[in-house]
Amino acid sequence: MTNAIKAEFRKFFTTRMWWGLAIAMFVAGAGLAVLFGFLFTQPQSAADAARGIPTGTPEQIANSVYTGGLQVGYLLTLVIGIMQIGSEYRHKTITSTFLGTPKRARVMGAKVVALLGIGAIYGLISLAGSIIAGAIVLSARGFEAFPTAGVFRTLALGLLVLGLWALIGLGAGILIPNQVAALLISVGVAWIIEPIAGVLLGLWDWGHDHIVPYLPTQASAAMVNGVTQGGDNAIQPLSWWAGALVLAAYAAVLAGFGSWRTVRSDIS
Amino acid sequence: MTTTTAPPTRPTDGARIEVRNLTKRFGTFTAVDNLSFTVEPGRITGFLGPNGAGKTTTLRMLLGLVNPSSGAATIGGQDYHDITQPMSVVGSALEATNFHPGRTGRDHLRVLADTAGVGAPRVDEMLELVGIPAAARKRAGGYSMGMRQRLGLAAAMLGDPQVLILDEPANGLDPEGIRWLRGFLRHLSTQGKTILISSHMLQEVEQTVDDVVIISNGRLVKQGAMADLHGAPRALVRTTDHDALAGALRVADVTSTVEGDAIMVDTNDLRLIGDVALRAGLPIYELHRAMTDLEDVFFELTEGTNRNLGEGVTGVTGVTGVTGQGAATERDAIAGQEGGNE
Repeated sequence: MTNAIKAEFRKFFTTRMWWGLAIAMFVAGAGLAVLFGFLFTQPQSAADAARGIPTGTPEQIANSVYTGGLQVGYLLTLVIGIMQIGSEYRHKTITSTFLGTPKRARVMGAKVVALLGIGAIYGLISLAGSIIAGAIVLSARGFEAFPTAGVFRTLALGLLVLGLWALIGLGAGILIPNQVAALLISVGVAWIIEPIAGVLLGLWDWGHDHIVPYLPTQASAAMVNGVTQGGDNAIQPLSWWAGALVLAAYAAVLAGFGSWRTVRSDIS
Repeated sequence: MTTTTAPPTRPTDGARIEVRNLTKRFGTFTAVDNLSFTVEPGRITGFLGPNGAGKTTTLRMLLGLVNPSSGAATIGGQDYHDITQPMSVVGSALEATNFHPGRTGRDHLRVLADTAGVGAPRVDEMLELVGIPAAARKRAGGYSMGMRQRLGLAAAMLGDPQVLILDEPANGLDPEGIRWLRGFLRHLSTQGKTILISSHMLQEVEQTVDDVVIISNGRLVKQGAMADLHGAPRALVRTTDHDALAGALRVADVTSTVEGDAIMVDTNDLRLIGDVALRAGLPIYELHRAMTDLEDVFFELTEGTNRNLGEGVTGVTGVTGVTGQGAATERDAIAGQEGGNE
């Protein structure tokens, strides 16, 4: 198993994709931290909050600034997850992978471990960008850079969010055999369809309370406990641990079902 | 260099390949149909059949990539899935295109080396062995077919396996490469390794393999030694009076038949034929050993209702059927030249 995990890491770090994505991670983390650092530290009144402008405690503001790049970040790890299996099918390297490790469940286990690790590594890259840039902006705006210990919990959970989205990608990469289609569909669902569905479901009372908080994007946001939307119609987010469980469940179901399919199928 | 060693005395040395009643159905299509054969250690076995005969599917079942509908295939008595460190028991190269184009050949091997639990020195050793140490540091996307074949072979050899299974290893190699491959495989087989190579062309492996397993439409049509395929030894002679030569040969206790503008003699003792002709005062215009044309043998064995007709993948057999006599004569001449060089 250790050998298989090592091989998965080497697969990832021996193509050029990894440093391109690393740069994207860092830039997105830093850039969005600066943007949110200015936005969320604007003076606010109760009226603003009622109009739906996001507000929060100093902790939530710090959380939002540091995890501002998270939405871009988990999209990138989603892509990584898809590629980690999709490119094996596309370039047929899955053949030599399974020849080396014929117990396929072991291969899939190794991919899961490697993707959680890769997610964490990219999380650190993203956080390096966002903490450097965000701490400077927050201090400059007269806010405390690290108001509470809760911020550190958020940072750690941010790494987990990235890892779990990579596993969602792994599942999607298996279930949608064409890699290009898998990338387009997954990114489209995560960034366009799901937010729209969230808004539409939000118009329906029961959906608003019982479905929307459980959507992957909302669960991810809940995990990092950022600023929340004010106003009457605001979604009540899950607590951070419930968010983590929900997102982990998505990852487990998708990666698990995908792995089950892979273990049984003929490789030709 | 190892000198010629006898094949392992115990055939159960963990290296025999056994295929038993193997069947694979894809829907209503039976790709492999109740196939049984054995591959012995210390020999090179050619796994032959026209394109679409079921060779690759069989190899993939043997290697645990495709699940058989029924039957079993074992290597050294074990199912591939149950081999603890498969790359050190079985080395395989299935398709010469299985590389990520953005990864260097060396990195591809290093990924596999991780799996096999061997280090970078072994990787470089193998690249040296197949003769691509420098080129393997470039990304695999630009590799020629020959490079890919060599890289695949290096991958198969990483774990120093007892068994080698290669799918169409000569495909895309230039003549020099084919000669190199032949010597390489020969050397490995003298070490007692079990070697199974597939090909859709009998001639391609004619000088390489000891044994053949020939399949057609998913069924076994022949298993045996390569030498047996040639049939009885014969020689072709051209002279002025074929009937006179036939008579003279009959006196020397050698049978022959006149075929067209030549006479086929049922011996490969060219010196005897020459002496007989000299005594009979007949000039010799052409004299060489005539091997039974392997391509014809192959075609005869594998022809019939080719299920792939119409898909344009009949390959060699189709060509043979169409070109007929003219091409066959030309091949006889080539076969004869090879015989004469011995």
